[in-house]
Amino acid sequence: MTLEILNADQKDALQEISNIAMGTAAAGLAKVLESFVRLSVPRITIVETSRIADRLAASLPPHREVSAVRQAFYGPVEGEVVVVFGEDGCNELADLLAHDGDAGAVKEELLLDVSNILIGACINGIAHQLATELSFSPPEILCTAVPLEQVFAGHQPTCEQALLIEIDFSMEARSFACHMLTFLAPDSFGELRSSLSRFLESI
Amino acid sequence: MSSVLNAADLLHFVASRIEVGILAVDREMRIVVWNRFLEAHSGQSAKDVVGRLLFDAFPELPRAWLERKIKGVIVLKNFAFTSWRQRPYLFKFRHHRPITGGIDVMRQDCTFLPVMGADGEVSAVCITILDATETCLYQKKLEDALAIIAEQSVRDPLTGVYNRRKLDEQLRSEVSRAARYERPLSLIMLDIDHFKRVNDGFGHPGGDEVIRHVAKLVSACVRDSDAVGRYGGEEFVIILPEVPAAGALVVAERIRACVAASPVIFKQTSIAVTVSLGVAENGKSSRSPETLLGEADEALYASKENGRNRVTLRQPARQTPRDATSGSEC
Repeated sequence: MTLEILNADQKDALQEISNIAMGTAAAGLAKVLESFVRLSVPRITIVETSRIADRLAASLPPHREVSAVRQAFYGPVEGEVVVVFGEDGCNELADLLAHDGDAGAVKEELLLDVSNILIGACINGIAHQLATELSFSPPEILCTAVPLEQVFAGHQPTCEQALLIEIDFSMEARSFACHMLTFLAPDSFGELRSSLSRFLESI
Repeated sequence: MSSVLNAADLLHFVASRIEVGILAVDREMRIVVWNRFLEAHSGQSAKDVVGRLLFDAFPELPRAWLERKIKGVIVLKNFAFTSWRQRPYLFKFRHHRPITGGIDVMRQDCTFLPVMGADGEVSAVCITILDATETCLYQKKLEDALAIIAEQSVRDPLTGVYNRRKLDEQLRSEVSRAARYERPLSLIMLDIDHFKRVNDGFGHPGGDEVIRHVAKLVSACVRDSDAVGRYGGEEFVIILPEVPAAGALVVAERIRACVAASPVIFKQTSIAVTVSLGVAENGKSSRSPETLLGEADEALYASKENGRNRVTLRQPARQTPRDATSGSEC
């Protein structure tokens, strides 16, 4: 028996709120990146943290290397988001967006920027719908070009469950998936549930 | 009890005096706030820059990138960040640490905050600039130390050539590479002749000098792509990727002749040194690293048996080592 973070109604509400947030994010991203951007409807699932690598492996092509960015948010709800990009996706992104300078640093900076925008849009969007306000720490590179199972090597998540928000991200003719993993601090589950309940009552 | 200070004044005081750069620009990129930290480091006073367009006041700023960054904050109503790790600095400030050296410009971590107006739109963007030079210096020290450790972990301290661990690792990867791409690969094993006599006659310092001398000569005789390592006491191994037996024999003979022609000068005494060498080629039927080493060792043994100061090729196709013995009889 798994302990569910959210009941079915709360999960639906979160899905709905995320959809709206992503719509806003896509519009904003398009303006900022000066490129046509499409974000899929996010797929929201709750996963056991011990099974995250398996879960991600299922949606990434086999034997693929990935890069990941982490960013913490805090306020009434606290947690950390990890965005995992397939290495090909990173290169595509760099191809499309890099303008100048040293390729390695530019690629990292782009990953940080795009993650920050995605995380900000998604988490802020959710917070906004839930009538609360959050702050963000600077994003950091968690790893670059490592096999998937090494993403969390030496960084064991402290919570048992995480919200997995998967978004397909396409720009111009190219498309690639990135995966947002939201780790909520266990203390924040209660606040998230009550925020979602308030939201459900208000509509 | 009444407070002499009001909170707004105090906040203003803190923002202006804090050891963090604080600047704000409006939607048209006009500077609205320029605090003391920025005045001190830029040499430009708030009086001079407030009201001016950011890129007029500071034309050296990376305009295309920074405009996009600020625009992003305005459009997305979201924080943005830069780290010294990817972009060393925003403003070119000196860091006032003349004695720590190595880093010329103050490293900076920047945060871009949207300032929301009453209309729900971003009315200004506030940029905070943290001096990250200290972190950067520690990071650099750490990286330098790690690089030294990494280098030391693969080198033989006496000679500076690869140590046994690195040699084994290199041999494994070259053998599997040669097998994968069906490329030639040869191995030379070398032993200093009558080394015990050197040690007995000149003591360990003399022995060490001879080992160092041979390592230097061997390194000078091979290509950059070859790997030279000290295998044991007075034994060396040379891995020659992309080299068939014939080529390895030429190299081995060059080493032999070179060592024989260059005596070691130790405490004003000349010590004549010769080496025996064994050559093995990976060949068509790919071998394990251990087999290849064993074969080179067999050939080396044949050189020793046949009078030392010579090169022997271990034929890959079941020929006896004797058939291919070459070398000088001097």
